[in-house]
Amino acid sequence: MELLLQTLIDGLLIGGLIIVVGIGFSLCFGVMHIVDFAVGEWVMLGAFTGFLLVKYFGHDPMIYLPLLFLTFFALGWTIYPLIYRAVSGKRHNPVLMGLVFTFGLSILAKGSALSIWGYHIQSISTWMSGKSLSIGPLTIPALRFSGFLFGIVVTLLVMLFLYKTRLGITIRATAQDREMANLLGTDVKKVGALVYSLYAGITGMSGILIGALFSIHAAMGVKYCTLAFFVVVLAGMGYVPGVIIAGLILGLLQSFVGVYIGGRYNLVALFMVMYVVLLITPKGILRRGI
Amino acid sequence: MSLKNAPTQPHPSASFWGWAMLGLALLIFFLLPWTISPLWIRIATEVLMWAALAQSWNIIGGYTGYLSFGHGAFFGVGAYLTGIAMLHFGLPFGLGLLMSGMAAALLAIIIGYPTLRLRGAYFAIATWAFGEMIRQIATILEITGGAFGMQLPPFLNLPFFYYLFLCIAGLTYLTTYLLLERSPFGYKLLAIREHEEAAEMVGVDTVMIKIKAFALSAFFPGVLGGAYAYWVTYIHPDSVLGAIITDFMVVMAFLGGIGSLWGPFLGAILIQLVNRYLWLVWGEGTFYLIIIGAAICAVVLFIPSGIIGLLESRIYLPGTAWKEFRKKVKW
Repeated sequence: MELLLQTLIDGLLIGGLIIVVGIGFSLCFGVMHIVDFAVGEWVMLGAFTGFLLVKYFGHDPMIYLPLLFLTFFALGWTIYPLIYRAVSGKRHNPVLMGLVFTFGLSILAKGSALSIWGYHIQSISTWMSGKSLSIGPLTIPALRFSGFLFGIVVTLLVMLFLYKTRLGITIRATAQDREMANLLGTDVKKVGALVYSLYAGITGMSGILIGALFSIHAAMGVKYCTLAFFVVVLAGMGYVPGVIIAGLILGLLQSFVGVYIGGRYNLVALFMVMYVVLLITPKGILRRGI
Repeated sequence: MSLKNAPTQPHPSASFWGWAMLGLALLIFFLLPWTISPLWIRIATEVLMWAALAQSWNIIGGYTGYLSFGHGAFFGVGAYLTGIAMLHFGLPFGLGLLMSGMAAALLAIIIGYPTLRLRGAYFAIATWAFGEMIRQIATILEITGGAFGMQLPPFLNLPFFYYLFLCIAGLTYLTTYLLLERSPFGYKLLAIREHEEAAEMVGVDTVMIKIKAFALSAFFPGVLGGAYAYWVTYIHPDSVLGAIITDFMVVMAFLGGIGSLWGPFLGAILIQLVNRYLWLVWGEGTFYLIIIGAAICAVVLFIPSGIIGLLESRIYLPGTAWKEFRKKVKW
């Protein structure tokens, strides 16, 4: 019973962090209709940037969160014109070209990281590392809890932005019908750039927390790529609110598989669930995807 | 969608000179092992293998327009199945190859059934996740030797493997030519790639056709994987299931030109020679990943029709070169 509860708590806490990776990704897909294969690499780059910052400037990694957001926002802003180029113009199959382009980007990022930092495994430590809160027989690791809180805060902010501001409404309109939004005077290219930078910023920022929670290495992107894919398929591709539920389910699934079946069956279980979801409700468990 | 100006026959038939060139190339390939050193026979064998792999990716990625980012998994499954069949069941090599191909095609049908009904993005995601899953399974299972891999009975005969790969590669290209460029099946695929809804409207059973194409494109990597396993005699999850195999297939097909018969072949020759050259100069490294990634990005951005596209516009003729170059290379 204790183990069950503990597993449940761990799963939910991890799920909070996974939501952050999924939410930007889902938003990005909703607006641009492109799967960004580099999502895991943004996490990896964020983790490494955080690691280097802590190594050279000291201080607690949490301080660097806004800085990382801005850095990756700028990075996304610089890369977006290339992606826009790949999906527009007189090309045969724009979506296909966009997919391949982000796939190339992810290989490029992974290769650069491997060449620079090698296969060494690093970790970031914060003042919260190793501390935990205990309620009765259950323990809540402080770092995981703060990761969860971070996830909730970011999700709330993104939701507020999307549903309460004018810019957010523009973004949702573009996601709903790109051509119509364009006709009504929305600069679709600018909206795309904004969404992509926002997504890069959020994902890169979450990298530092993920790095503090788990280990950092140059090939870690693959794992988070799988997680993000799984979350959006479960949530319904492009349906942002669904990400919250899907992220929590994924966290629980990971945690239960890790405890009761064995961590190495992780990907197998993920894929099986994803396959069944695609077979039964391809629009996600809430049937709201596109 | 360039349907308006499409020629009535999607793929023009080859001219007399085309056939003559092909015959000459085949003769050269047939005589090659007598003239070069064992190192170069190895490299030539690799080139043939990659040419066939890139072509099989091209069947689903180029001709059908659905990107499979887990195609390396079929190669790995083939390698492991042939290894298991020979090592644990004592089956002959040929039977193992056939089994590998069949199993890969079957897996493709299983993966393709739910995902090919959806948009291309779902398919790309699902195949990618499938590739990762297969690698994890190979490290877990006992019969595959886990992370240590498996050792096949050695059969050290370079020319045999050269001709084997030549046969398989020839078969891949012949199948592609006959089924995709010269039959209604190929025209249906082309229709799906150009405009799926329109293809469905005129009565093409798009899902069935796509599943068939995916199974076909998975069959060859399965066979090639089996042949590769017997050739190198030692396989482990990273060597036959690494993400790099898919990466190579994608970059070769794209650099050469997707959706064309000879594009993947050109891409495979170019990329594999560069790769081997770097390997000879610098040794093992991860630097080639940067080159592959940059190459994919650059091709998508500047020459989306690949080398074949450049050649088809007769860029090699002095008068037209610059004009065509400006037209094809998109700034």
